[in-house]
Amino acid sequence: MKTNFKLFSLLFVLIAFASCSDDDGPNLVPVESKTASNIAAPQTGGQGQPVGGVFTKFNFATGQVTTSETEWDLAFRGTTVAVNGGVVTGTAEEPSRSGNGGASVQSGTFGSITDADGLTFTQDADGAFAIPSGSDNGWYNYNFMTNIVSAIPGKVFVIRTHDGKYAKVEFLSYYEDAPANPDPNTDASRFYTFNYVYNPNAGETTLTQ
Amino acid sequence: MSLNKNNIPFIFFLVITIGVKAQERPSIQKDSILVENLDEVVVTATRTIRQLSSLPLPVTLIPKKQLEQTGVTRLNEILNEQTGIIMTPDATIGGGEGVQIQGIASDYILVLIDGVPVVGRSSGNLDLSRFAIGNIKQIEVVKGPSSSLFGSEALGGVINIITEKPVSEKVAGQVSHRVASFNNQNTNFSLNQRLNKLGYSFFADRLSTDGYDLSPNQEGNTVNPFFNYTFNGRVFYDFSETLDVYASGRHFFQEFDVSPSTSEEKDTNLQLRINHDASKKTNLQYEFYYTNYVTNERAVDPIDNELLIENDFDQKLFRPEIRYNHIIKEGNIISLGGGYNFESLDRSLFAETVSFDSQYVFAQFDFKPLEKFNIIAGARFDNHSEYNSQLSPKISARYQLSENLAIKASVGSGFKAPDFRQLYLDFTNAAGGGYSVFGKEVEAAGIERLQNNGEIATLQVNDSELGEQLDAESSIGYNLGFTYKKGKLTADLNFFRNDFKNLIDTRILAAKTNGQNVFGYINRESVYTQGLEIDMKYSPSNLLSFSVGYQLLFAYDKDKLDDISNGEVFARDPETLATIQLEKSDYFGLENRSRHTLNFKTFYEIPRWKANANLRITYRGRFGLTDRNGNGLLDDFDNSFVDGYALVNLAIGKTFLKHYQLQLGANNLLNFKGSNPLAAQDSQLLINPGIQLFTKLNIQF
Repeated sequence: MKTNFKLFSLLFVLIAFASCSDDDGPNLVPVESKTASNIAAPQTGGQGQPVGGVFTKFNFATGQVTTSETEWDLAFRGTTVAVNGGVVTGTAEEPSRSGNGGASVQSGTFGSITDADGLTFTQDADGAFAIPSGSDNGWYNYNFMTNIVSAIPGKVFVIRTHDGKYAKVEFLSYYEDAPANPDPNTDASRFYTFNYVYNPNAGETTLTQ
Repeated sequence: MSLNKNNIPFIFFLVITIGVKAQERPSIQKDSILVENLDEVVVTATRTIRQLSSLPLPVTLIPKKQLEQTGVTRLNEILNEQTGIIMTPDATIGGGEGVQIQGIASDYILVLIDGVPVVGRSSGNLDLSRFAIGNIKQIEVVKGPSSSLFGSEALGGVINIITEKPVSEKVAGQVSHRVASFNNQNTNFSLNQRLNKLGYSFFADRLSTDGYDLSPNQEGNTVNPFFNYTFNGRVFYDFSETLDVYASGRHFFQEFDVSPSTSEEKDTNLQLRINHDASKKTNLQYEFYYTNYVTNERAVDPIDNELLIENDFDQKLFRPEIRYNHIIKEGNIISLGGGYNFESLDRSLFAETVSFDSQYVFAQFDFKPLEKFNIIAGARFDNHSEYNSQLSPKISARYQLSENLAIKASVGSGFKAPDFRQLYLDFTNAAGGGYSVFGKEVEAAGIERLQNNGEIATLQVNDSELGEQLDAESSIGYNLGFTYKKGKLTADLNFFRNDFKNLIDTRILAAKTNGQNVFGYINRESVYTQGLEIDMKYSPSNLLSFSVGYQLLFAYDKDKLDDISNGEVFARDPETLATIQLEKSDYFGLENRSRHTLNFKTFYEIPRWKANANLRITYRGRFGLTDRNGNGLLDDFDNSFVDGYALVNLAIGKTFLKHYQLQLGANNLLNFKGSNPLAAQDSQLLINPGIQLFTKLNIQF
């Protein structure tokens, strides 16, 4: 009996504390860490032919791929990643940039990037993506020896969404089901897997849970 | 003192050979009573004849006897059994093999035949299986930078193949045939004679094989079937006691069976040397050298016979050189030399034929300030038409501490000129995605051309940086060693450190509108290699010997080490996909370097049976092939490591009826095959094709 009572009182205190902290500030939607898996980013052409194909658009608020022309944050085609901010770079079949998105490239472990405050954001521009294209420029490295595209570890992309909220993204894999040791001959490529943390609260820059 | 006794043959030898006879003619002394000592002389370390054991720098000598008894046929096979010399496979499937000395890659190692350089490198790598060793007297390997004597490419060391000189007044020669696994058929024939004033020798070699396969579940062979021929003719003539001439012509031809495509390779060397002993103390040498290396490759679609790729390569070098050696007094020699290189390359991937001009002078003073103290100081100046001129000094010294122990130390510099590719490549890979690569001399024009075509999205470098001159890659090497010699035991210990700077790397010049990059070359990387080598040999009798060698090696990219210290390098755990900040201890070092390599050799002769046997074991410790997790360096999270392995080679030989020698052997006796971590999933890629049995019959006449 005695033990049970102690347990209950402990539970009560905990609940009280928890509700207390909720009351401390404005009512914020909790920040969550999620993984987006197998976002297909097909591309036509390449290998010397003109590159084309519709970009696959992704929305952080829903955590889903979207066909909306305006409410998207990142768009993928092959190894190319567009943000919804700035102007078209000039490549074929690009989505128009209706939002005020941007990207800031940071170095560190995913957990070490905690806030978007004070960062400088780049937008897509004529001839240049905010997340630069090409091996070792942006998010990936292409190894000529193994023909493998791998996400550069320690590159964290802080994203301003089309509607001015913040997220951070860490790319993990370019291959379907993110195999530990992808084989370019058998594993399908152009499938993005990435970790992201999205803060759905307007004006909030915190990027930790 | 007994030290003096040791020096007598050496000094005596120097006087008679340098003063009276030409350099690089050690075998002329065959009649001498000092045969045993004289056999161990080398010419590569100083470009004068020097006794191996008296040299102040690390040199490996592979004598003819070892070449014969091991039954090897090509240069790469025998080098791999020497301490601190490793043949490293290219990580790419079907790629070649490169030699590595003191952790330095084959791009930075100069290969000579009788003192003159061979050309023809594929992506910097010289294929050493091109060189038959049937008519070789010995192979000399000088470790550490030697640009003070040899100029470009001699950063990691110099390999000099010394061919045999005719000595017998009667026509002498041999014919042999060797059969080995993979239908490897090698026939060679040699003939030589030394008359009073005239000597000649002729050598021919044919090798063919069905090749082998390291990827059993993939179509095609790793090494395709091929055949090759080597011909070498040489003439020696003494005009007088003081004037002689030497001429040599070598031709190599190789063809791969890749039908309906074709792939062939040709290599020609012509050498003429006039040797004049102007006085008893003065020797002059005039040398003319021409070499031409050609490859022709045509890749044809096997279905419709359409020509896919045509890749031709035609490199020429002509080099006159003059050398002067003067003995000031016993053991004090001054050497001077100068020459002119005319080089050209015509290659499919170049806009036009390109040519280089360079001139050089060198000087060396080899002297003994004290009886036990030898110093060699030298320097070379190279002036080049395409990049900054280079001054390469080197100093080495040896001090005999006691009767049995000597200390030797050397500091020298080495350089490698930017190669034709790094200066003139003009290449757009249409099949591989449309990226472009430009050499330094053509990048400004190339970028302009692409800009005019509207192919450039953004320029990633400053306009003014385009076409800025490339510097030569350079290194400073330090060696400190001890030699111990007592009775039947010799031991060598050598510490080395090589600091490289200005290594040429590729960088992105511009992004193209097709999403690909334009690459150019830049001096950027700094690396170091350091470690130690131990060599011990014990010969209980002159019929039996045991030797053990070990190399410890650390090889790192200095900039990558800095990045790690600054916390800028990360890796991804391949299982959890979590990002981890790398520590220094996670950085394995440069690709293709083993921390530990070991070799053990024993040679045994049984005169009663006219037989000999030998067993050689080489061990190569764990090494990594390439970065696989995108952070640009080899770390413990990269699944690209090859586990350490040992190769055991055995050969047995017996002489019958005086003229017939039969040899049996096995290379890779334990049938090691290994597995390459870069193999595709569910398939297998081997490190070694497995056991290779051979038998050889040699007839001497």
